[in-house]
Amino acid sequence: MKKLILTTLTVFAFSAQADFLGSSHDWNNGSSDPFKAALAAAESGYAANLKAHMAWRDTGKMIKEAKKLQASGNAAGAVALANKAHTQTVNAAAQTVGAGSAGPSF
Amino acid sequence: MKKLITAVVSLGLMAGATSAIADMEADRKAFVGHFKSIQPGVEFADYTNGVYAYDAGSRDQFEEILDGIPPYEEAVEKGAAEFEKFGLAKCAALADPAAARLAHPYYDDAAGTVVTLEGTIRKCYNEQTGKKMGPMKGKVARISAWISDQAAGEKINVKVESDGAKAAYARGKATFYAKRGQFNMSCADCHVYNAGKKARADILSPALGHTTHVPMYRAKWGSLGTLHRRYGGCYKNMRAKPLMAQSPEYRDMEFFHQAMSNGLEITDARYRK
Repeated sequence: MKKLILTTLTVFAFSAQADFLGSSHDWNNGSSDPFKAALAAAESGYAANLKAHMAWRDTGKMIKEAKKLQASGNAAGAVALANKAHTQTVNAAAQTVGAGSAGPSF
Repeated sequence: MKKLITAVVSLGLMAGATSAIADMEADRKAFVGHFKSIQPGVEFADYTNGVYAYDAGSRDQFEEILDGIPPYEEAVEKGAAEFEKFGLAKCAALADPAAARLAHPYYDDAAGTVVTLEGTIRKCYNEQTGKKMGPMKGKVARISAWISDQAAGEKINVKVESDGAKAAYARGKATFYAKRGQFNMSCADCHVYNAGKKARADILSPALGHTTHVPMYRAKWGSLGTLHRRYGGCYKNMRAKPLMAQSPEYRDMEFFHQAMSNGLEITDARYRK
């Protein structure tokens, strides 16, 4: 009997909590969400590129497009595009390293 | 040991900073020498004509256009009227248009920045009318073209003298030679190392002489545009995000870019494909 009561209360507690959070709650928040992690990396990298005046032409557009894909439910496409944008920011950051001292090769 | 490493790293950084403050005249000679080596048959003075110094066919077309009524003529005349209408001669820096063209770009030690002709035009316009002027095309390009026409035949003579000017020049030089964008290219990749070669159907113009005919009329634009408008286009072609026209970075680059053409005549033949 004791076990039955405990089980019932536990199930009730979980379901009540789930109802309280509402159906729109994103259970995959935080760094465990692949899109959020990829987007955060792309956005922070892009901000750094812009600050260094070395951003690539299409990175900003790719980030916007990735957000649209995520909103439309294409999570895999959104993550792929956000990762692509992040890769661009990494490459742009690599260009930034030597940019300040660039000179002719003749 | 830690102190030793710090000292070595500091010395290295100092050496890098010193070498960045380049000797403009030595740079210019090397720059001109490079173009002489890749196109030995082209006289220095002919670089005033830019890419038309390289290709006879394009030169013929260019001269035919100039023999008729150049497509920018009306715009330049409008620039003259606008110069008058907005009272730009009241600004000391523009009172003598030919002198204004020759004096720009320069490094303003008090302001700690490079001042371009378009920057001075926009500032003066704002003072006279209380309005703002765009930095790339339209009024600024028309007025700048008319001012430049007044100095046609005079030689570019950018001065890089103060420490501030040398630092701005060095920053502009680095911007010009830095690889950027998805294609990992620099301005120099097209307009220095590969000048005269073809990129698709177009002949890459030499950077030497680029600033003799700015603002230029481009058939592609169908209008006049400033040098910074062209910088933006080149950035896009390299798949880099363009900077704002008249941004400090573009002004520094113009300072370097114009200095490399010192000794070349300013021309009013501002048509480019």
